[in-house]
Amino acid sequence: MQLPGGTSKKQKQGTAHTRLTEPAPVRWLLTATALVFLGMFLFIPLAAVFSQALEKGAGAYFAAISEPDALAAIKLTLIAAGISVPLNLVFGVAAAWAIAKFDFRGKSFLITLIDLPFSVSPVISGLIFVLLFGLQGWMGEWLSAHSIKILFAVPGIVLATVFITFPFVARELIPLMQSQGREEEEAALVLGAGGFRTFFSVTLPNIKWGLLYGVILCNARAMGEFGAVSVVSGHIRGLTNTLPLHVEILYNEYNFAAAFAVASLLAFLALLTLVVKSIAEWKVREQISAE
Amino acid sequence: MSIEIQNIHKRFNGFHALSKVNLTVPSGELVALLGPSGSGKTTLLRIIAGLEFADEGTILFNGEEATHRSAKERQVGFVFQHYALFRHMNVFQNVAFGLQVKPRNERLSKDEISDKVHELLRLVQLEQLAKRYPAQLSGGQRQRVALARALAVEPQVLLLDEPFGALDAKVRQELRRWLRKLHDEIHVTSLFVTHDQEEALEVADRIVVMNEGRVEQSGTPEEVYDKPANPFVFNFLGNVNLFHGRVHGGSARIADISVDLPGHGEADGAAVVAYVRPYDIEINRTRQGSDEIEAVVRHIQGAGAVARFELERLDSREIIEAELTKERYRELGLRTGEKVFVKPRNIRVFAQDYQI
Repeated sequence: MQLPGGTSKKQKQGTAHTRLTEPAPVRWLLTATALVFLGMFLFIPLAAVFSQALEKGAGAYFAAISEPDALAAIKLTLIAAGISVPLNLVFGVAAAWAIAKFDFRGKSFLITLIDLPFSVSPVISGLIFVLLFGLQGWMGEWLSAHSIKILFAVPGIVLATVFITFPFVARELIPLMQSQGREEEEAALVLGAGGFRTFFSVTLPNIKWGLLYGVILCNARAMGEFGAVSVVSGHIRGLTNTLPLHVEILYNEYNFAAAFAVASLLAFLALLTLVVKSIAEWKVREQISAE
Repeated sequence: MSIEIQNIHKRFNGFHALSKVNLTVPSGELVALLGPSGSGKTTLLRIIAGLEFADEGTILFNGEEATHRSAKERQVGFVFQHYALFRHMNVFQNVAFGLQVKPRNERLSKDEISDKVHELLRLVQLEQLAKRYPAQLSGGQRQRVALARALAVEPQVLLLDEPFGALDAKVRQELRRWLRKLHDEIHVTSLFVTHDQEEALEVADRIVVMNEGRVEQSGTPEEVYDKPANPFVFNFLGNVNLFHGRVHGGSARIADISVDLPGHGEADGAAVVAYVRPYDIEINRTRQGSDEIEAVVRHIQGAGAVARFELERLDSREIIEAELTKERYRELGLRTGEKVFVKPRNIRVFAQDYQI
């Protein structure tokens, strides 16, 4: 591979860089290693999920995913994702906009804070909410006095999901927006556009693919989150079980076919996410290379 | 519209980007802010545009206080160094943007906007490219789109940040002339930032030389070039030779040359530096008088409109640059290694402590 601009220096160093690629056996070996690894750790497990799910036939499969508890789990998962993704979309865009386009005190602190859910174990994240809203927690007494249920109920699950998926959109947008600089916004401002107009007709179109990418990742995590949700859920069947929790319960009951059937839904979601993600990624790259 | 800048101060994290800047831009003039990078010229331009705000000082537009007006209210056109075209809009949409964001009661109809944009694109000779996106344009074309976009809102002032900086030499020359022509046609008060003295001298009505956040001198190109106020301006506008000397009995002695110092109050023995342009260096094969310096020809570059000489002083071993006309070069017939006598003309003397 020749790097533009680096050639003259390289040529002076003699013949060491005249070979532009690795020899064929090395290339084959490296490619094969990567493929075997990928197959063992990604493809075989995925195939196993689907084959186990369909072990007892298509009838058992559809029964497992249409049974009331499973439907309740699907519904709760959709609710949790449906609330946390829009919330984090708004928050993520606002935070990325502030961080990339303005200078203010405490900017690096805010970036660290956004990363917090990534650096803390999901179980700890769940425990934070137990400490806050549990009966022995800081707000526990007040909440029970007003008979507001957060823990072991839908609000707790939503809160935990929002917390866990907090960084995805912001993290995706910050580098993109920083690389785009603020000149276009300044240009819009000088041309007489206000803040809202500038955001909707200049900033947003420039980040739309990156934003979609962030939302997809955020959604995938919101639907797949286990640890934090498990701590705050209480595992009440048909009430506070999300899809991943439901899979665990079925599995613990040695109901393998049903467990894998429900798991296959999550696997489907993962595959779908991958497809949309590749499209978004490709669009982002196209956008960057067009500059 | 005239611009008046009074006592502008701007600090960035303790660094003085601008200190006590005063400047007047008369209405309808094309003014260059010239200076090395880090001299504060872009900061000053951004403060005028309202993209940055001064810590102290006032800005007057047409004599009216405009210091705290927002960028949106200032009605300036700004051309960014890297053009800052909206990458997801085509050329037409870029130019139309400023017209479309106007409040409803001031906004032109759709057809009027379209007519105006096409008229502007004709002005910048880009009519055929209206449907193209910025990524599909060359640097010079982007530059012209940026200009058309800035002009669309009929600004009172046009501000250009290094307008030709990112273009190659040939395009730059063409655009420079084109900008001058455009300005002669539309007469909008314009201020452009550049670090290229040639560009400033060629295009501007007035040049403001800046250094380290201060205005060193402002005046017509002739004034700043022929009568530089200080060594910095002398040095920045073209090549220059330095001769070190001392004050002696009211005149400066540089080697064997004596230069009168009217108006200078330096004491005897004070160090001074004399500045001489390369084309003010006269070369002779034989001694013509006592006020000459002996030197050896080290290098001759004969290609081009003038012949450039590199001479080495025999006394101090310092290098002197000289430019001779082609005729004089042929007449002398000099070769490297020959000994010559150098006589500087138009010597400007500055006190040593006012160093660059």
